[in-house]
Amino acid sequence: MEPLDLDLDASEIELENEPMLLNIGPAHPATHGTVRLVVELSGEVIQRCDVQIGYLHRGFEKMCERGNWTQVFPYVDRCNYVSPMLNNVGFALACEKMLGIVVPPRCQYYRMILGELARIADHLTAAGAMAMELGAFTPFLWMMKVREMIWDVFEEETGARLTHSFGRVGGMARPPTESFVEQVGQVVPHAIQVLGEAERLLVTNRIFLDRLQGVGVMSAEDAISLGWTGPTLRASGVPYDVRKAHPYLRYGEVDFDVPVGEHGDCYDRFMVRIEEIRQSARIIEQCLGLIPADGPVNVDDPRVVLPDKQDVYTTIEGTIQHFKIVMEGIKIPAGEAYSYTEGGNGELGFYLVSDGSGTPYRVRIRPPSFYVTSGLEKLVTGAMMADVVPCFGSLNMIGGECDH
Amino acid sequence: MATFKLDDQDIEFLPGDTILKAAHRAGVDIPHYCWHPGLSVAANCRMCLVELLPPPGRAALKLDVLRWDPEQKSYIKEQKPKLVPACQQSVGEGMQVLSQNSEHVQKARAAVQELLLLNHPVDCPICDQAGECRLQDYWLNHQHEKKRMRDEPVHKPKAVVFGPTIVYDAERCIVCTRCVRFCEEVAKDPVLSLRERGNQNEIVLAPGRQLDHDYTLMTELVCPVGALTAQDFRFKARVWFLRSARTVCVGCATGCNAYTDYDPRNQQVYRHRPRENPTVNGYWMCDAGMLDYQRIHHHRILKALVDGKSASRSSALDRAVALLSGTPSGKIAGVLGAEYSQRDNAALLWLGKQLGIEAWFESGRPDGKADDILMHADKNPNSAGVRRLLGSEPRPSSELVQGLEAGSFELVLALGSSLKSKEGDGPAPIPGKRIVLSRHPGPLTEGAQVVLPACSWVEAAGSYVNAQGVEQSSEAAIEPLGDSAAPFELVGALCAALGHPPPEPPKGRGHRREASAPVNDSGNQGASAS
Repeated sequence: MEPLDLDLDASEIELENEPMLLNIGPAHPATHGTVRLVVELSGEVIQRCDVQIGYLHRGFEKMCERGNWTQVFPYVDRCNYVSPMLNNVGFALACEKMLGIVVPPRCQYYRMILGELARIADHLTAAGAMAMELGAFTPFLWMMKVREMIWDVFEEETGARLTHSFGRVGGMARPPTESFVEQVGQVVPHAIQVLGEAERLLVTNRIFLDRLQGVGVMSAEDAISLGWTGPTLRASGVPYDVRKAHPYLRYGEVDFDVPVGEHGDCYDRFMVRIEEIRQSARIIEQCLGLIPADGPVNVDDPRVVLPDKQDVYTTIEGTIQHFKIVMEGIKIPAGEAYSYTEGGNGELGFYLVSDGSGTPYRVRIRPPSFYVTSGLEKLVTGAMMADVVPCFGSLNMIGGECDH
Repeated sequence: MATFKLDDQDIEFLPGDTILKAAHRAGVDIPHYCWHPGLSVAANCRMCLVELLPPPGRAALKLDVLRWDPEQKSYIKEQKPKLVPACQQSVGEGMQVLSQNSEHVQKARAAVQELLLLNHPVDCPICDQAGECRLQDYWLNHQHEKKRMRDEPVHKPKAVVFGPTIVYDAERCIVCTRCVRFCEEVAKDPVLSLRERGNQNEIVLAPGRQLDHDYTLMTELVCPVGALTAQDFRFKARVWFLRSARTVCVGCATGCNAYTDYDPRNQQVYRHRPRENPTVNGYWMCDAGMLDYQRIHHHRILKALVDGKSASRSSALDRAVALLSGTPSGKIAGVLGAEYSQRDNAALLWLGKQLGIEAWFESGRPDGKADDILMHADKNPNSAGVRRLLGSEPRPSSELVQGLEAGSFELVLALGSSLKSKEGDGPAPIPGKRIVLSRHPGPLTEGAQVVLPACSWVEAAGSYVNAQGVEQSSEAAIEPLGDSAAPFELVGALCAALGHPPPEPPKGRGHRREASAPVNDSGNQGASAS
């Protein structure tokens, strides 16, 4: 090694002074979901950030225009594949709004319980993955263990752990299983217990707190102008929750709180999710007491709901009903409607246009993650390079929802 | 125009109209099975019952009925208005009719539908009508409840062969008598009739007869359910997979308007059925025309031939160019095709003009059976078009054969497979050198030096002039089969190879390839729309 030329004047050294461009993703360990960040660095400070979605594009909205209304359910499963049940229910409610039908109480509670279980799984994934990316691997595994239990419930009910395709216009694919109430009653308290343990590991950890608190602050005004909804908006102090503001199903009848943050930083977004898991557990507990033990799950409307298989094989009316719904699809009356529910990441809206045929004329989705992800640029600009990881993790971007 | 009120809508009518006819013309649907715009009124299905409001100041005609009250567990005496069949009731000025808006009408329709399905077999999965069946449509629209009968349904004969084209299933039949009336009123051959009553009611053939007149397939098309099925279409395709192109029948010079139903997935034509046009064919088509589509897939020339051997199109074109440029123009005879569209013939005529051809002959099918319903003796769709393009009669075919034998012609440039004659396939064998554009083999292609494969009428859009002198356009359905191409394209390629300007597309009627509608979407479905 040559000796340094100690006589050299510092002003004579020509250092590179142009900002450094750095690509993160689309396949980077910290970008769960295919997204690409092009950051312009000055030292370790991010001067500009270009968030590029579109690496997961299937043309969801266009695909929907091909089959019939029922055939959209598998597609919405894959919009938010972390909480597909919430999407199933959201789309079913949108179709039912256009048809002017309301599902029986048993189905409403069933949808609420399954939906809140999905929300718990969604928030556990978001919080756990965020902790893992910051180096805390153990809490992640604990949270995944609980998610597995929830997925076991889904497997028992729907036959699928992840993409259930379980919603139907006018009801659900199947009624609750006999052990449903008992199984959920056992899983939820256990989930809350493990969540508490995982949370203690994190919120007493100096490093974890230092990397979250005061990082990635979003003001309430900016959050609203970006179209943020859900946990990220509530962390910025706006108590907007579709379940409270515009109750659907039976959310008006159950007691739960809407947690809000004070600072709008990564820590608040993390804690809002943790607290929402507890609120979801409260909702589930109440619903388990309210759900009727028997009674119909599907509406009594032959235009919408498939007949019993026994009837299809033995009566001409059943055969005709089955044939019409399967071959031509449910005839949703011509018109348009916007229907919105609280998804895992915020307001999940469906704007449907029907021309009266069995095929959707237009399905427009308002996926919460699309709007939330658009705020990432603002969060990380001016922050340190290392802050990208907690900021991105706290938004819980779902690639499937950014299919635009 | 005078109007009456149907529900909340004012509907215009002509003197003598019935409620159903006026509503049908205005595009308002009153459900019906037995009524058909082209047949007499039977009023036997009772599906079109409507409520007639009494004139001002007059009491409504009421009937005493007993209604079961489940709460009191007894029958209660009630009155309900007497409903009338819309297909039979003639319309008067200012009349007020309730259809959708009347609770009594809704109940009556549900009851009619329940009764029609009472003994209906569970046949939808094996029934050709499924997908375009009135029973299916109306059950969902007007009843959507299960029947209350618990008994075994009445069993009747199934798969009765009525004749060479039609199979009858008595269990599916709702005895609307459309087929009976069609045979009697349109085909003028009353070969079908009814036997028995009530549950046992069924359609039968006249003793010693078969359903074998020239319009038997129409009975299947007027059938609103799956009772009559066509041997030709039976178990071949599912209607919801088919698409329809609006075409013109090329079976004879009548030029009936038709739908060509094809499956876009395998590019196969499955059905040819009438399309309503009051000035040409009304609602009907003959069997020969409806089965004529079979020629699209049978015995086609799908590869170019040079001296009888398969060749590429380019080598066939090279050979044709060599023949055409090596023959003096006065020695070339042109043959236009009465089976081909105006655009194809115009293109060939254009090429002939460039080459200086003056002698024009005509190819086509020989004359056949005619009647005073629809069938025309001339079995070519565009004989009148050929004359319109030439401005005169084409020369007789015998002159061409004599000219070739005498040496006054050396080369024939022909569109079509056989020279036209009153009877038989025309003169054969034909001497001399030939360049032929044809779909099917025939005397002209036999021994020809060059044969270029032409596509059929459903593979390219075109127009045809029928015997009345009406030029009608026909849409393309499937893609050209094999190596075939539209004759005007082949002629265009010849023009280009010879260094002549391309033929101009004719002005006027549509030659676009239009997007065709699914079978169920077509607004005017001929038989099943009515």
